Amino acid sequence: MAKTVIAYVSRRLTVSLLILFAASFAVYVIFAFLPFDPAALTCGKNCNDPGIIEANRHRLGYDLPFFTQYFLFLKGLFFGRSFGEGAALINCPAPALGYSFQEHGCVTTLIGEALPVTFSLAIGAIVMWLALGIGLGILAARFRGRIVDRLSTIFVLIGTSLPTFLTGLLLVVFVVIRWRLIPFPSGNYTSFFENPFEWAQILLLPWLTLAFAYAALYTRFVRSSVIDTSNEDYIRTARAKGLSEGVILGKHTLRAALAPIATMAGLDFAGLLGGAILTESVFNLPGLGRLAISAVTKYDLPIIVATTLLAAFIVVIMNLIVDILYAYIDPRVRVS
Amino acid sequence: MARVKKSTSIAIVAVLAAAVIVGGLAKMSSSGSAKGGTITYLTHSEAFTHADPNRNYTGQHIAWFGSFMHRTLTAYARAEGSAGSAVVADLATDTGRSSNGNKTWEFTLRDGVTFEDGSAITCEDIKYGVSRTFATDVITDGPTYAIGMLDIPSAADGSSVYKGPYATKDNDTAAYDKAVTCSEDNKTITFNLKRAVGDFNYTTTYLSFGPVPKAKDTGDAYDMAPVSSGPYKIEKYKAKDEMILVRNDKWNKSSDPIRNAFPDRIVVRFGLAEEVRDQLVLSDSDKNSMSLDAILPTNLPTVFDDAGKPKDAFATRAINVYDPYVTYSAVNVKKLPCLDIRKAIYYARDYAGLMQISGGAAFGGDPADGVIKPLMGLDYAKVTGLEEFKPEGNAAAAKKYMDAAKSACPDVYAKATDPKRGVSFDFADTDTNKKAAAIWIDSMKKNAGITMKFNFIESGSYYAVVLDQTKQGDLSRAGWAPDWANASTVIPELFTETGGFPMSQNWNDPAYKAFKAKSDAALAEPDRTKQGKMWAELNQYAMDQMWVIPGVFSKTQEVWGSGLGGVYFWEPQGAPSFGDIYIK
Repeated sequence: MAKTVIAYVSRRLTVSLLILFAASFAVYVIFAFLPFDPAALTCGKNCNDPGIIEANRHRLGYDLPFFTQYFLFLKGLFFGRSFGEGAALINCPAPALGYSFQEHGCVTTLIGEALPVTFSLAIGAIVMWLALGIGLGILAARFRGRIVDRLSTIFVLIGTSLPTFLTGLLLVVFVVIRWRLIPFPSGNYTSFFENPFEWAQILLLPWLTLAFAYAALYTRFVRSSVIDTSNEDYIRTARAKGLSEGVILGKHTLRAALAPIATMAGLDFAGLLGGAILTESVFNLPGLGRLAISAVTKYDLPIIVATTLLAAFIVVIMNLIVDILYAYIDPRVRVS
Repeated sequence: MARVKKSTSIAIVAVLAAAVIVGGLAKMSSSGSAKGGTITYLTHSEAFTHADPNRNYTGQHIAWFGSFMHRTLTAYARAEGSAGSAVVADLATDTGRSSNGNKTWEFTLRDGVTFEDGSAITCEDIKYGVSRTFATDVITDGPTYAIGMLDIPSAADGSSVYKGPYATKDNDTAAYDKAVTCSEDNKTITFNLKRAVGDFNYTTTYLSFGPVPKAKDTGDAYDMAPVSSGPYKIEKYKAKDEMILVRNDKWNKSSDPIRNAFPDRIVVRFGLAEEVRDQLVLSDSDKNSMSLDAILPTNLPTVFDDAGKPKDAFATRAINVYDPYVTYSAVNVKKLPCLDIRKAIYYARDYAGLMQISGGAAFGGDPADGVIKPLMGLDYAKVTGLEEFKPEGNAAAAKKYMDAAKSACPDVYAKATDPKRGVSFDFADTDTNKKAAAIWIDSMKKNAGITMKFNFIESGSYYAVVLDQTKQGDLSRAGWAPDWANASTVIPELFTETGGFPMSQNWNDPAYKAFKAKSDAALAEPDRTKQGKMWAELNQYAMDQMWVIPGVFSKTQEVWGSGLGGVYFWEPQGAPSFGDIYIK
């Protein structure tokens, strides 16, 4: 049993590493062959002078052959990289993903600052939407056709119809500014380790915004899944054996009905870690989503490459975790 | 009428400066200004475009950093109205001493001026700071007056033989050392210029003529952590998050007569949604806050009446004034090398519609006929040849020019009318601009058959992107104000290849050669009246070629929390009087 699990995990890890390597190459190819000159993206209005573009091309190594550049990029991930010379020398320690001339910082540092923000947003939101979505979904299924079910349908309709930027904006304008139920945060983001209360206060409305949208989807999904499972033969058998409804629901129905939720939640969580662009924008959170979207509007290629790679990395890792969890839950997966 | 007279008499300037300072101090003492507290500034931008003194080049950013962090040799007086355009001494003991027919300028540093670490600011620090302007590959986007004015030879390709402090090869450092010298006591700096510049002490109001400690210079990264020489220093600066300034305890009021340093802390909140930013100020939920951005047009009626006057509730916390800017859409002549198409765009535009979404003429301003504002007096003359202009757009005129373009420049015509290609237009990414884009698209299609494609760029980095000619689209929205009251800071800056804001790329136009020759002649013209006439003719010339689509002689609105005092419009920078704002 243990050997089988280890072999399975090893196999999945190897495949994941290969996927990441392929993703890094693909992204770097896109970076290299985009119809933009990376050297011409480093000197603002001074790029009107071709001499300056050429000097920067040499300074930043963009005049080297493609595979040499890719090798230096990979090398930078393990050993760090330097750009420029003299007082203008820039050192980016490993894992170096490049230097942003728009943000004036090493990309790894910028991502290191943005990732905890997005992680904080995602982790709080997923807890809220799973609690709300699963709870409401179960209630709606359990009391199908009754008032609870109807109310949940209204909740689902509103939640899926309202875009997150609108929900967020309404919450800020009314809850914070007009009604002053919550004070306007004194900062855009505070680390949990610095001040947990302020961390939660700043993230409360963003969590609610995301949770509202996702919980609506999960409510509908859980409701259907629980109703489908309730019609299975083994549930009827359990009921015939005289088990209470509570035991049937908790021990038999939910275990089967909620298994697909693990996959769904894993992928949604990975998507959020890649950047909840709209929510971060409305609530002014300096997370990965805003870093990425701002890089796109500014043609900031090193950040675009890095955030794309990071998103790929997160999806691969989350898939790996979900697969391993599945293997733990369902032995048939290990065998296949 | 010129707001600032060309300075040839130091005595007059000094007397005026003294009067302004005394008057200003008297005003302050009677207005109940107080020290302490935290002032919060709110903005939709994700960061300041630049914080490095050599890279600051918008009036607002110069006003901001010049008030709080970066000192330079001379500065504009802190005063309301035209008195604010007088030059006063800052780090220097006076407003400069010229000789050699205004080709040599000397400034002596005050005693007791220091950086935030307490080290004394010396002539070498100023000299090093100015030298960074020449490192055009690293220190981007800032004013380049030092390159154009200092007596340093040019290489064969027209660039300076001096490449700044970072270059290690083919760099003529000796040429720079000859052009900028320091006295033995390291207190007096001398600039040797290649041509007479009577108002060089206006040039030195730019923060790029301020000190940078060589040991702390980190090149590009200095933009995020510049060293302060003013009353505040950075405690935190993170893009998309916030900037916090705290008192610089090494700053000494006795060595800085022009800065007040009222609040204890200054916070800038970046990246706020525009509606959230406006609501925070309008609802007065933080009485000590102020927006750094223009208020959304949809919120203007809350603050002002139809005539543009603040309503009673906002009487003491809002202003609506003409600013020094002219707005326009720069035409990338390299990409739109067809005069008829450019004229068609001008006539097809629904100016009235665009003004409507800006809040109307009471808030937007008056239609511009060029890039020189009538306030420039000597340098302004009404531009002719635009008589067919109609506020709602002139479809007949636009069609006439499109018909002409069909045969004169068929390639550009085909691109402009192709729904897949069209004319690309760079806009800062704001809600108002998105509405403006809709009006442009509609009026161009309806009146000229031109397809418009919009490229929205994050507002904080808008100029850094569009000023890069490799990224600029066919048209780009822009605004420009004279650096001081001489169109020498407008025409060459906007329309010559070596200018500081050359978004038209008009050196690709065959008409450029004659224009450049005349612009050079105007720069060298010692008679101010004749020079003014030449600038007016060059403005006419640029409009004849339609190198820009003129927008408005603009107005600006500022709104702030009820807890703030000392707010007025600081004319020379076209920005609020940041340094004089205090908590009541």
